Amino acid sequence: QHKQVTGVSSQGCQGGCQTCSVYNGCLTCKPKLFIHLERDGMRQFGVCLASCPNGFYGTRSPDRNDCIKCGSECDSCFNRNFCLRCRAGSYLHKGKCTESCPDGLVPSDTMKECV
Amino acid sequence: PGAAVPGKQCPSACQCEEDGILLLVDCSEQGLSSVPTDLSPLTSYLDLSMNNISEIQPNAFHNLHFLSELRLSGNHLRHIPGPVLQGLYNLKVLMLQNNQLERLPSEDPWELPNLLSLRLDANLIMEVPARTLSGMRSLRHLWLDDNALTEIPVSALNDLSSLQAMTLALNRITHIPDYAFRNLSNLVVLHLHNNMIRTLEQNCFEGLHSLETLELNFNELQEFPVAIRTLAKLQELGFHNNNIKAIPEKAFVGNPLLQTIHFYENPIQFVGRSAFQFLPKLHTLSLNGATEIREFPDLKGTSSLQVLTLTRAGLTGLPFDLCHLLPKLRVLELSHNVIEELPSFYHCASLQEIGLQHNLIKQIEMNTFQQLSSLRSLDLSWNRINTIHPDAFSSLQSLIKLDLTGNRLSILPLTGLTSLTHLKLKGNMALSRSFREEDFPNIRVIEMPYAYQCCVFGACNSYKAAGQWEEQMGSEEEDLQKKALSLFPVHADNNYDLDLEEFQLAIEESKVQTSIQCTPIPGPFKPCDNLFDSWV
Amino acid sequence: AMIKVSLLKQEPTSRPITLEGVFAGGSAGYAEGKLMQSHPLSLCNTSEDDRQETFFISIVKLESPESKVPQCLPLLDKARLALQRGAQAVIFDITDDPGAAQELRDSGLLPRPVVLVKSSDAEQLMGLVNKNEEAKVFIDIMMETQKWPHYDVGI
Repeated sequence: QHKQVTGVSSQGCQGGCQTCSVYNGCLTCKPKLFIHLERDGMRQFGVCLASCPNGFYGTRSPDRNDCIKCGSECDSCFNRNFCLRCRAGSYLHKGKCTESCPDGLVPSDTMKECV
Repeated sequence: PGAAVPGKQCPSACQCEEDGILLLVDCSEQGLSSVPTDLSPLTSYLDLSMNNISEIQPNAFHNLHFLSELRLSGNHLRHIPGPVLQGLYNLKVLMLQNNQLERLPSEDPWELPNLLSLRLDANLIMEVPARTLSGMRSLRHLWLDDNALTEIPVSALNDLSSLQAMTLALNRITHIPDYAFRNLSNLVVLHLHNNMIRTLEQNCFEGLHSLETLELNFNELQEFPVAIRTLAKLQELGFHNNNIKAIPEKAFVGNPLLQTIHFYENPIQFVGRSAFQFLPKLHTLSLNGATEIREFPDLKGTSSLQVLTLTRAGLTGLPFDLCHLLPKLRVLELSHNVIEELPSFYHCASLQEIGLQHNLIKQIEMNTFQQLSSLRSLDLSWNRINTIHPDAFSSLQSLIKLDLTGNRLSILPLTGLTSLTHLKLKGNMALSRSFREEDFPNIRVIEMPYAYQCCVFGACNSYKAAGQWEEQMGSEEEDLQKKALSLFPVHADNNYDLDLEEFQLAIEESKVQTSIQCTPIPGPFKPCDNLFDSWV
Repeated sequence: AMIKVSLLKQEPTSRPITLEGVFAGGSAGYAEGKLMQSHPLSLCNTSEDDRQETFFISIVKLESPESKVPQCLPLLDKARLALQRGAQAVIFDITDDPGAAQELRDSGLLPRPVVLVKSSDAEQLMGLVNKNEEAKVFIDIMMETQKWPHYDVGI
């Protein structure tokens, strides 16, 4: 789950937004929050989150914080090339998701890791 | 909310969900000012994020021995004493981002022996004293970005030999001392971007034997970070937006696995010829504005390069064996140099884009672009080309864009140009011949030296370009616009007489004679006949 | 430019809506595809759009400068990025961003059509998007009558 900041601000925006519009949803977020672009059918609109949803990681910069997609094999990640948790069927080892483990390690299905 | 689950009571303000014998509890965004007191001991996941909690009661979590993930992000916490997190032996993920933490307990540090991920980003932390992290020896992922650190917490980090990924970005760090990361032999990712780092000691990265990604972007580095030479596993390096003026000889000799190097937005003037040698995995190299480069860099052993950009330098020529060195080249961008002659690109079979605009090239030989069957775009504009061998383009079956603007051509060889969609010849004032429509069966955009050369392409059927939107609106041309709509009878309320099938048929026909944009557009003072020739 | 819109969930015989726009620079041409909205921030170097459609046409509602949406890329680069990501064409609703037409005025090399719409034409398109009403869009050149059909040069 991801924590969309609920409630409505004075401008009629979703709680975490700084500015928003009818068609695009959130355009800018309140400080420290991440803007995430959600797709719903043909629509794509902005929401402001405290932490990015599964499959995305947060990048911070002086003027904006974005949610960016992880690599396809990651369930959650630190950055595009470093996974924190793998999708079903692959095992985590030092930030990489692989279907088999390096020599000396065995796959653990409960932890989805090479141990 | 607060659904009663036998033996697993759910706090009133929360939503609970069973996970086998354990319980997932979500109390986020409930306006809570304290941690609920009736949490079930079987709670494995507890989300208290985005509430108004400024303090945690001492025994809030004392019986949650099964707790694996605790989210406290987006509250008003200033301090969390050590005893508060006592007994959380199974805790793996602790999220504390977006609070007001200024310091972490070091006298009585948090005892979280199995913690893997600790998020402390977006707080007010100014320092991380020694022993602060000593109770978290299993820690793998640490977020300390967007805080107020002025130096690398060297002592505290010494306890984290299991650490694999860390960000210290968006702080106020100015210097990296020797052996700053001495014990972090398992660290794979290190982000230091958006700090104020001016100096790196020569041995500051010693010990980082597993490091693959190093980000130093948006700092104030004055010198090339030679300390990277010890990072044998490095694959991704970024130091763009700094103040580095030179890349020394053999700059990356210690980093044979490098795949990407981003160093744009640096005032780089000098680049050692051997700087980019022996980087067999490097696929992109971009150098712009390094005015002191006179000779083409020696790229021996960097044979996987796909994109080479070397613009606004002083290159006078290219190595004759360029394509033997770089057989996988896909994009070659060498604009704004002083290149006079071209080698044959014969062995660069994967080349798709060549940019040679703004050089001093005089002629194109037969074998210059021979066998480049994947070449799609060729920009030779603003050179001094006066002759092109008749067969120079003969094998360029994929070429769709050719720009010869601003050269000295009097003849254009047509062999091989049938797939062009964009052709630019403006400025070749000696090129006065008239072309035929069949010379360029797929053309869509043409720029000719003279207007009369556009007539054969039906340029008199002009169409509105964006720029004329303002003039069109409200001007007398508006009724012309309305008259044009008579081609497709339209009722005022936007309903057509044509139904969809008829419309698609009309479109199919119009696709055959899709209009061509040819400039300069003929007009009263730029007639379709070449007046001069007809008078003579 | 002429834009035909046919709703996918209506009977095939219903008439398509006809709207008007203007091609940006030299991008005049034909395109068809399913209408898909792109948030202005999705067309930045760092961001990625997670669309899975194959044949689609992106529509981007440009916001007024006052809304302070970070301008991560010039409009022309945003258009190119959308086309690189597979859009058959890009439609910019410039109703609230009058400067956009100027910015896209001499956008030379665009591989596929980029169309500017505004006012009622834009409102109809964005209305469909807001109601998530799946629609297919056809774009083509509106042929003009010749400005100087017969002229001779008399001297």
